[in-house]
Amino acid sequence: MVENNQDNMIQFVDVEKYYGHFHALKNINLTIKRGETVVLIGPSGSGKSTLIRAINGLEPIQEGHLIVNGYDLHDPKTDINKIRKRVGMVFQHFNLYNNKSVIENVMLAPRIVSHIPEEENEKYALELLDRVGLKDKAGSMPSMLSGGQKQRVAIARSLAMKPSALLFDEPTSALDPEMIGDVLRIIQNIAKDSDMTSLIVTHEMNFAQNVANRVIFMADGEVLEDSKTSDFFKKPKSVRAQQFVDQVQNH
Amino acid sequence: MNIIAAGIFDAFTKNNVHYLLGGLGITVGVSIISVIGSLIFGSFIGIIIYEKIPFLSRYVSIINDVIRNLPLLLIIFFVYFVLPVIGIYLPVFWATVIAMTVFESTMLAEIIRGGLLAIPIGQTEGAGSVGMTNQQALLNIILPQAIKKMIPPIISQLISLVKDTSLAVGIVLAEMTFRGQIIYAQNSNYTIPVFIALAIMYFILNYGLSLIARWFDHRMAA
Repeated sequence: MVENNQDNMIQFVDVEKYYGHFHALKNINLTIKRGETVVLIGPSGSGKSTLIRAINGLEPIQEGHLIVNGYDLHDPKTDINKIRKRVGMVFQHFNLYNNKSVIENVMLAPRIVSHIPEEENEKYALELLDRVGLKDKAGSMPSMLSGGQKQRVAIARSLAMKPSALLFDEPTSALDPEMIGDVLRIIQNIAKDSDMTSLIVTHEMNFAQNVANRVIFMADGEVLEDSKTSDFFKKPKSVRAQQFVDQVQNH
Repeated sequence: MNIIAAGIFDAFTKNNVHYLLGGLGITVGVSIISVIGSLIFGSFIGIIIYEKIPFLSRYVSIINDVIRNLPLLLIIFFVYFVLPVIGIYLPVFWATVIAMTVFESTMLAEIIRGGLLAIPIGQTEGAGSVGMTNQQALLNIILPQAIKKMIPPIISQLISLVKDTSLAVGIVLAEMTFRGQIIYAQNSNYTIPVFIALAIMYFILNYGLSLIARWFDHRMAA
């Protein structure tokens, strides 16, 4: 059995993931402690998104243990919604509810999942929208927002559940260049201010250097490197990571 | 021209009009009960197949496919002529209603399943990521968006249901088309006026449905 350490927010133990015959995650062993901010980088197709989606139960794993907030996701008895209540996710394509206004997007889950009283819920939702700079858009529909604004609402929606951890799956990859800065600044503030755990998949290397305690480099479904941020960017250990960093930084 | 004009005048005696309108009443009665029944059962079947519940969804889907691919007339005959063989006797009105409801439920189930599938998976994932259950996501996020897309095909299907009630002529249900036949069988001069009257009544019924659909569309868009 796997030891359940309260300091660990997310723990992968010998995790294997297949899509049919394709081996998407190969023997992943990884521990992320509470309060850490970890950036996950690597070439596309390396399994970063699969790994982060597995943590939120969006991709089932075939072997090993994946323990999130004390629950093993690979145990059929685990109620996945108990984990998701405490672990939020911000998607590349935002996934705001298209039939709900901005403030309803933020308030819906606290109301029907956590049963927060309406007044308290609304007050906190407005506070969060203010924090992401969109209080004046509370009544708008998602279709009226720009990509950057949608992503900021999506971040507020995740924060409304007061999560212990937030997963960011390429949060700026679908945004116009001039929108990226705002979103990254908000993520950075969240990661620095709170004792929340953050795991971020990104291609923004400057942002990664500024925000992360640790960098994990993946390629071909494997974790090739797991180092302190300063060590990683000074001199990556693997050739593969060295090449990747050079390519991304010199373009 | 004189003959037709005379026919129009003669065809619609007080008795004949009364008889034909009685048929309209039966057509409307069968239609309303079958519409309500098939909307309820069709939604259940559509959602069960969409939710991919182990075993259940698969069997429901197979049965649904079998019924959907049979002619409606065959199902009407089955309910009226075959069920009595195993001891289930139904009056002709209810035999029609049950056959129509069973058949139309399978058609509507496919429309409803298709409408649900048309909503991007990201909407479900977004709802799941904040801890909503599948049912909560379906009720609050997926269905409200899917219904907008479903309404036009559902209304077409319901129009087709109303028209197909005329198939019950096959088991001698005294609905509108059947009664029309009885009237023009009395006198061949009545044929054209009765057909015109039938066409107008079916058109008004179904155009009414289209208007309801348009009203829904506007309300949803607002």
